[in-house]
Amino acid sequence: MLVRFLQVDLLINLTRRDLRSKYKRSALGWTWSVLNPLVAVVVYSAVFSVFLRIQPSTGDPSGLRSYAVFLLVTLLPWQFHVTSLTEATRSITANGPLITKIWFPRWVLPTSAVLARFLTLLVEMAVLLLLIAAIEGHMTFAWIPVLLLLMALQLLFTVGLALMVSAANVYFRDIQHFLGVALAPWMFLTPILYPLNMVPADREFLGVGYRTLYQLNPMVSWAKAYRNVLYDLRLPSAERWLAIATVTVVVLAVGFWIFHRLEPRMAEEV
Amino acid sequence: MTASPAVSLNDLGKKFRLTHDRNWTLKATMLAGHRTRYEEFWALRNLSLEIRHGQTFGIIGGNGSGKSTLLKVLAGILRPDEGSVAVDGRLSALLELGAGFHPELTGRENIYLNGAILGFTARDIRSRFEEIVGFAELERFIDEPVRNYSSGMYVRLGFSVAIHVEPEILLVDEVLAVGDLTFQKRCLERFAQLKADGRTILVVSHDLDMVGWLCDQTAWIQQGTLRATGPSSEVIDRFATGTEPGEPSNRIGRAARPAFERLSTQDLVKSVELVDINGHPTDTVGSGQPACIRVRYDGQTAGEPVTVALGLYRADGTHVASINSGATTRGLTPKDRSATGTDRSETLVEVEYLVPALPVQPGTYELSVALHDASMQRVLERHTHLLRFGVTSTGADPQNGLVALGGTWEAK
Repeated sequence: MLVRFLQVDLLINLTRRDLRSKYKRSALGWTWSVLNPLVAVVVYSAVFSVFLRIQPSTGDPSGLRSYAVFLLVTLLPWQFHVTSLTEATRSITANGPLITKIWFPRWVLPTSAVLARFLTLLVEMAVLLLLIAAIEGHMTFAWIPVLLLLMALQLLFTVGLALMVSAANVYFRDIQHFLGVALAPWMFLTPILYPLNMVPADREFLGVGYRTLYQLNPMVSWAKAYRNVLYDLRLPSAERWLAIATVTVVVLAVGFWIFHRLEPRMAEEV
Repeated sequence: MTASPAVSLNDLGKKFRLTHDRNWTLKATMLAGHRTRYEEFWALRNLSLEIRHGQTFGIIGGNGSGKSTLLKVLAGILRPDEGSVAVDGRLSALLELGAGFHPELTGRENIYLNGAILGFTARDIRSRFEEIVGFAELERFIDEPVRNYSSGMYVRLGFSVAIHVEPEILLVDEVLAVGDLTFQKRCLERFAQLKADGRTILVVSHDLDMVGWLCDQTAWIQQGTLRATGPSSEVIDRFATGTEPGEPSNRIGRAARPAFERLSTQDLVKSVELVDINGHPTDTVGSGQPACIRVRYDGQTAGEPVTVALGLYRADGTHVASINSGATTRGLTPKDRSATGTDRSETLVEVEYLVPALPVQPGTYELSVALHDASMQRVLERHTHLLRFGVTSTGADPQNGLVALGGTWEAK
C-alpha cells in the first residue's frame, strides 16, 4: 500500500530514465559527472586559497587544514542542490507530451529528477570519503550513518523545493531564468568557499547583525553540518539538527501543498 | 459486473481560456493585476452520460466537438470545471501511443518505463514482457534505442504496452488510424477479446464502420453537448444523415435502422453464418475471395416451401445487393434434405449461397435475411442486420468505392 502510495515503481523507472539517458551518445559518459566537481575544486582552490589566501578553519577536533577537503565537503552537497533544482524546474514543462497524454501522479517528475541527481551525489560522497582517507589519513567511515542521515534530510528538503519551483514554472516560465540568476549569489552567501567566521559578527544592518541575517539562509545550516561531520569530525549541535529538521519538514509540506494546488490545470498550461 | 456504472458523467462541463495576450511572465502578471483578459470557451457543457460495465461505447462527432477533451477528462488529465465524473475501475487511456517513450532508451527499457507510467509494477511487466514484445513483433529490435525505430514499430510497441495493462476500462482515441492493415486488424481482434472478457471500452473515432462494428452503444457529441445516445447503428445512422430522432431519414430507402437483431428460439431462421471454403464459420472474408453464406431455418415449422432472401449492406447502410434463393433451393422442405446432404436435424433446412469471388471493397458489411413463401408473395420473417462481417483487403493496389472490379492492368 505504501509502495503504491509512494509510486516506488514509477520513481525507480523515471530515475533510471534520467540516469541512463543523461550521458547517452557522449564519448566520456559518466566521466563527466566526476570531471565537473574536479574542475570546480581545482579552479576554486586556485582562486580562493592561492590568490585570495582564504584560510580554511582548522578542523576541530580533527585538526584538518586542507582547503580542498574543506571546500569539497560542502561543494558536493551544494552542486547537488543546484543541479537538482535546475533539472527539476524543467521536469514538468519538458515532459509536456507525457503530461497531456497520460495521467499519473505528477509529483514523481520533479522528485525523480532530484533522485537521479541524489544517486550521483552518493557516488561522489563515497569517492570523497576514500580521498580523505587516502590523502589525510582520516578514518571518516565511522561517520557514514550520520552523513547518510544528513543527506536524507537534504534530499527531502530539495524535493520540497523542487516541487515548488517545478509547479510554479508551469505557470511562469520566469522561474527557470530566475533560478539561473539566483543560484550563483546564493552560493556566495553560503559558507562553502570560506568559513562562516569570516562573516562579520560585530557589524549591523538596520539593527540586525550581519551574521544573524546571513544565517537566515537555510543552506548555511547544511554547509555547517556537512563540514562538522566530514571535516571537523564531530556531531553537529542539537540546535543545528533541530533547525535542519524543521526547515526540511516545513519546506516539504509547503512544497507538496503548492504542488497539489497547482496540479489540476498543469495539462492545460504546460 | 457491479451495479454501479463503469463511467458516470453528471452535468459535466470543461472550459478553456482563450487568452488574447498571454501572460507568460511574472512581470506582465504583476502589471496587469487581475485584468488579464481572456475569453471563456466551453469545450464540454451539460454532458451527462452513463456507461455500464462491460459495454463497448463509441463516441462520435465532428472535429472540435469535444470528443478528445471528454476522454482527457475521463483519463484524469483535465479537471472538470462543472459537474462530476465518476469512474469505477482501473482505467487506461490510449490517447497517444508511445507518449512516454524516451528516444535514447531501448525498447526493453521503454517497456518498463511506459508500463510504470501506466501504473504497472516491474513484476507485472516482467510476467508479460514476452507477450508485449511478441504482440508488437519487435523481438529482434527490442534492445535497440527506440529513436532507431520506424514510426510503425514505435506505435506497435506503444499499443502493445498499453493493451497489456489489462485495464477494466479502456479509453481509445483514434489510435487505430496508425499502423498497417495487419496490425490494425490485430488491434481490433484484441479489442474484441477485451470486450469478450467483459472489459469496458470507450472508443473515440471518425471511423464510423469501426465504431459500428466494435461498439454496442454510441454517443454523438456536438459542440460539447450530447446530441444523441443509443444503439450504435441508430446513432451512427443519425450522425451520418444528420437527422433528428423521429425525422424521416433523408437517405433513399432507409428507415431508421434498428439495433442489431438477435435470433430468438421462436424464429424460423435458426442461424446465418459466413463460412470459409472449408465450411468453417468465419467473420471475415478477403475481397475478391470466395464467400459463402449459410442459412439454416426450421422448415418443419414453416410448414410450406420458402424462398430465402439475403440483403447485403455496407456498415454505413449503403445497400450493396439483394439476392433471392435460386431455383435449386427454392421451396426446399425438410423432406428434401437428403438431396442437400443436411442431416443435423429432422426439421432443419440448410441452404448456402456461394459467391466465387466477393466483388466488394474492404470494409464492414451487414447481412439481412428474410424468408418468403415460395411464390414471393408473403414475408414470413425478416431480420435486418443479422450478421456483420469484415471484408479484408487482398489486392496489392488500394482501391476505393463500393465494388471491387477485380480487373488487371496491362502495359501495351
